[in-house]
Order: sequence, then structure tokens, then C-alpha cells
Amino acid sequence: MQEASRRGVLQGLVAAAMGVPGMAAAQAAGKVNFIGWSAAVDQIKAHIAAFERDTGVPVNYENFPFAQFRTALVTRLVGNAPIDVAWISDAWLPEFVEAGWLADIEDMPNLKRYGSETAAYCNQSMTYKGKQYGLSYYGDHMSFMYNTEVLQKAGIAAPPTTWDEVVEQCLKIKAAGIMEYPLLLSLGADTWLIEFVSALTFSFGGSFVDDKGDSVMGAPGGGAVAAAKWLHEAIHKHKILAPGAVETVELNGLRAFGSGAHAFTIEPTYRIRSLNDPAQATAHGKIRLALMPKGGPRGTHDTCGWIRFYGLTPAAKADRARRERAVKFIEYFGGRDTKGNYSLQEMLLLDVGLPSCALPLAEDAEVKTFWTRWAGGGAIVAEQAMKARKKDVISPWFGEWVESSNQAWQSVCLGRATPEAALAGLGTKWNELKRAFR
Amino acid sequence: MRLRLSYDDRSAAILVLPVLAVLLVVAAYPILYSFWVSLHDIVLTRPLRRPFVWFENYERMLGDARFHTAVLRTTVYTVVTVTVTTALAVGVALFLNESFRGNKLLNALLLLPWATPSIVNGLMWKWIYDPTYGLMNALLVKLGLLDSYRAWLGDPDLTLFLISNAAIWKQMPLAALLLLVTMKAIPDDLYRAAKVDGATVFQRFVHVTLPALRPGLMLVLVYETMISIRHFDLFLIMTQGGPGDASYTLSWLIYVETFRSLRFGTGAALSYLLAMLTFLLSWLFIRFLGERNP
Repeated sequence: MQEASRRGVLQGLVAAAMGVPGMAAAQAAGKVNFIGWSAAVDQIKAHIAAFERDTGVPVNYENFPFAQFRTALVTRLVGNAPIDVAWISDAWLPEFVEAGWLADIEDMPNLKRYGSETAAYCNQSMTYKGKQYGLSYYGDHMSFMYNTEVLQKAGIAAPPTTWDEVVEQCLKIKAAGIMEYPLLLSLGADTWLIEFVSALTFSFGGSFVDDKGDSVMGAPGGGAVAAAKWLHEAIHKHKILAPGAVETVELNGLRAFGSGAHAFTIEPTYRIRSLNDPAQATAHGKIRLALMPKGGPRGTHDTCGWIRFYGLTPAAKADRARRERAVKFIEYFGGRDTKGNYSLQEMLLLDVGLPSCALPLAEDAEVKTFWTRWAGGGAIVAEQAMKARKKDVISPWFGEWVESSNQAWQSVCLGRATPEAALAGLGTKWNELKRAFR
Repeated sequence: MRLRLSYDDRSAAILVLPVLAVLLVVAAYPILYSFWVSLHDIVLTRPLRRPFVWFENYERMLGDARFHTAVLRTTVYTVVTVTVTTALAVGVALFLNESFRGNKLLNALLLLPWATPSIVNGLMWKWIYDPTYGLMNALLVKLGLLDSYRAWLGDPDLTLFLISNAAIWKQMPLAALLLLVTMKAIPDDLYRAAKVDGATVFQRFVHVTLPALRPGLMLVLVYETMISIRHFDLFLIMTQGGPGDASYTLSWLIYVETFRSLRFGTGAALSYLLAMLTFLLSWLFIRFLGERNP
């Protein structure tokens, strides 16, 4: 009893500090309480206005920077904040489901019907233990990008198809005196690092865990170790990648690549729009996509894909009125609007460059024009999307493990640990957390 | 024996009570509660379980390789920052203790770095060290001391010292002023007597200034050690504990455990370990510098 009351006091304090009174008032006024991170805010606000107009359901919208979003959302959920719908990263799904913070949509035919119109990896990424937990906000994957002007200057006819060719072409560019570090990888320890190293590992035919979820990341000769070795050699042996890459976070990497100072990079596909936008990048019009290069004898063109989706809270599902409002909201935002169009997904792609999980949009004329304008065509994007795999390390302990992962990969890049030792240690950490979760 | 309180004592107690009550709520309760939290295995993302584990969190952290790394990094950072800050502060205080034109203006200017908010200080130094447009690279290249731009904060051997430099820049002015105040209190007679005895400048510094500075030095050492050992903001802004584990200090480890891994139990245990370490060091300074105070 004492325990419960103490927890109650804490929950109350957390909730009060987090602005829950405002959300509670919004809920009492029949609003949908929706939380997202500070991305595409103008588009979301415009769509909220359209939703309110079309359905008559008001929305209370709040957003936080992505870097703090998980912590902000968790503290609100712990404080029993009356959230109805939230943007969720696929990486948090198992953790949030196990914590009892997400409700499945299996018994909601209005939402489930979108499964047949959604890319397979998106559906998989919203599914945990056989149940689906929302509709997609967007789905994307890591893409290999190159600067056509640099390749032309170096007399290179076609972009590389393997990581060995990446090294060869980089050395050729260096030898021509065009630039010191032709390859740019953002290996700073931010939230993107796991996506970068997953893409690299998958392209080396590797994985972090096996089908049972046990660690194989440290296996000698495995894809993860091979990818780590390649990274280490790119920095220390070939010197085609700057040692300062460990200081470069994704956004800074994007700016540097957009300035035309590098020939090759890996970036989320949606960045292609800003990279080819004259208002945002010096190298605009010169950036193109190629399939992820293959690494080693077991290499593939596979890459890492991810999605963000609209998740429903159990409290919203349990209350009939809240549930009805929330389902309408999720369908309007993650599915089709009241006119039957994927209007938000289309707007997000055209305005911001965010690719959609909705398959019918691929045939949309405006979408085709978009890819032609910003990426020189949509064929590579579509082909790469088919080879996108979700992160195999997504688990209830992902949030705890990923910090160690970032450190281990950085240690390899810095030459402070051998790939074998760093990844073996990382595997041990994985197994410890997995054991502790039982 | 009955305790008899005078009217003044009773009045004082009544007047102090509201403040005491506020302190109990905002200071004592959180401190005690965080200790209680440190005895539980609390992970925010597993809200349905919070077992009482006695001192397991402490045991786990003391055996954790990250903790050992963090202690080492914290020690290096603290020793470098406190030593250099104090040495520079003594020099600056000696300089400002002299009478010269513009002395007062210099005193005022000295406070500028100290008055700069920590976040601004961190961002400023991050820009100075920036590998593509940083002032440090530009300056060193122009002076011919460097061939090409370097990623200073990406070098694990330098990171800690570069952060320490940013901390010294901000903390040194206050330390210098504290020492200057102590220096001003040294009677001129002592220096005159020393001069009469034929003492050189260096001898006057060693035998007159330094012993008289002991209270100020103790204050500076305790204050700077407590600040440095718990430093967090510069690490958050400049390196986030990286690259690798190059700037993984105790404060950073506490942040990671508490706000990234959301392990409140181990986060609280680490905070207590850090607090104990801080108290121990402060006690040592006070004991060994304070008691011999003339």
C-alpha cells in the first residue's frame, strides 16, 4: 500500500512536471492527444487542421526533439499521461509492448485492412509476437549515394557495386588529388549509428543475431566482424575515410556531403531531396543513388530499413470514446483520408522527402515525378527498398544495448579495439541483457 | 534533565521552521528517496517490476568495466582541470595584486568567461575545435604548425584534455578572484619585513604569500574539485562521452544509465558513489590543508 502510494506521488509529480494537466483537459474536451517528435511539423499541423475539418474531432498535438523523444515519452507513459496516439520507432516496439504501453490493432478492421497495401518490411516492423501495433508514419532505408561530378572528374564511369570497388575508386580519387577523404560515413554516436552499421553488416552478408535472437555479431568471419574490419581499414589503412568520422553525426555528415567535399556516403534515402535541392546543398543535382555495395564473398545488396509508426496506447483503446477518436486519427494519418487518398504520405514525400510504406503511392504520377526530379528516377529506390531488412537487434533490451554498440563500433574505428574483440564484447553484453530480461 | 529554551531560542526555532520544512521536502526527501531507489532494480521501461535488491546495484556498478573506465577518466579530467586552474589562478591573482594602470578594467574583464553560461561555453569551444571550420585549425594551419585540418575532438588521446581546457577557461577567473581576495588580506608588513631580511621575490612568494594563501587555496581546491568531478554539461555538448569511451566520465555514465538506459536503480547507486567520492576528496582537502591553517 505504501509502495503504491509512493509510486502514485511520483507519478503525479512526473505527470505534473510533464504538462499532463493540459493533456487531461484536452482529453476531457474530447480531443485526441497526439505526441510526435519535431519533424515535418508544418505538414502535420496542416493535416491536423484537415482532419479536424473532415471529422469534427479536435486534436491536441505536442512535439519534442527526436533526441529526447524516447525519454520524454517514457516519463509521460510512466506518469500515466493521457496520451492516445504517439509516433513510435520500430526500435522501441518490443520494449514498449512488454511495458504495457502499446495496444495492438488486431481487432480493428478499419486499421488492419491497410496491411495488404503496405510494404512487407513495414508490416513486419510494426508487428511483435504476431500482433500489429499501428499504421506507418513513414518507412525508409539506408542508401548508398555518390557525387556524379567527382566520379566524372576522376574518370570513373560507374558507381561501385562492391566495397572493394569503393576502396579502389576512393584511392583513384585521392590519387587524382581531388579530395583527401572521398568516403564520408557519419559514425558519431547518435541515434543513426546503429542504422549505418546494420546496413554495412547486412551488405557483408552478416547479421547481429541468429533466428533465436542469440548473438552472432562476434563470430569470427561473420558479416559484422567483416564490416568492422572494412571500416577500420578504410580509416587506418586506405585512409579514404577521415578518422574524425567518429565525431560526425548524421546531420553534420549530410551537410558535409551536400557541400560536395566527398564522393560517397550512406544516408537515409529521404535525404536525397535536400542533397539535390539548390537551396540546401552546393552539390545539388549531382547526387545520385546506387545499390548498397556488396561486401566480401557472401556480400549482398541488402540494407537496413526502418519505420516510424502511429501507436495506440492501451488506455485509449480501453475507453470506447477515446478509441473511436484515436482510430479515426490513425487511419487518417497512417492510412487513407476521408476522400480515400494517402494525402499525408504524399505530402510528406513531396515536401520533405519521406518515403511511404503505402504501396499504391508508388504508382502515383506526382510521386514518380518526385523521384525523377530529386533522384534521377525511382528504380534504384524501389529496388533497394525491396532489399531493406529491419534491424535484427530490435528487442526489449535494445535501448540499453545500443549504447554499448555505439561505443564498440567507435572503438574499432579509433583502432582502440580489434573488430573481433569489440564485437565479441558487444555480443556478451547482448547475451547478458537477454538473460536478465527473462 | 529538561531542556529549557529562552524566548530568543524559541523565536529563532519558530522562524527557522518554515525553511526547515521546505528543505525537508525539496532536499532531504529526494536524497533519502534516491537512496531507496538505489536499492531497487528499477528500469522505467519495465514498470511492472521493481524488486528490492539491497546493494546489488552498487556491487554491479563497482564490478562494471564502464565504471572503472569512468573513474579513470574522471580522475584524469579532475586532476588536470583542478591543477591547471589553480596554478593559472595563482599566477593571475599575483598579477592582478600588483598596482598598474587598467588593473580594475582587467579585473572586470576577467569575469567574462566565468559569467558565460556553460552551454554557450561548450558550444563555443566545440566550434573552435570543429574539424571543418574551427578557429583552432585555421590558426594552426595559418601559423604553419599544422598541414591540414584535424578532428580534434575525434582524437581519443586529446579529447579529455580539450574538454578540460574549455572548463579551465570558464572556471579559472572565479578561482583567481577568490585567491586575489585572500592575497589582498595579507598584511604589507610581512612583505616589508621579508624584504628587510633580504628575501628575493620567489622567496617572498614561497614563505609569505603561499602560507597566507592556504585558506583561499583550500576553498579553490575544494570548489574546483567538486565542480570538476561532477562536470557534465561540457561532455554532453562536446563529445557525448565519445569518441568511443574517451570522455566517459562518472557523470556521463550516470546520465547514460539514468536517462538513456532508463535504469534508475543503477543510476541512483552511481550518483551515491559519486557523492561519496566527492565528500571524501573534500574531507581530505579540508583535513590536510585546513588544520595547518596559520
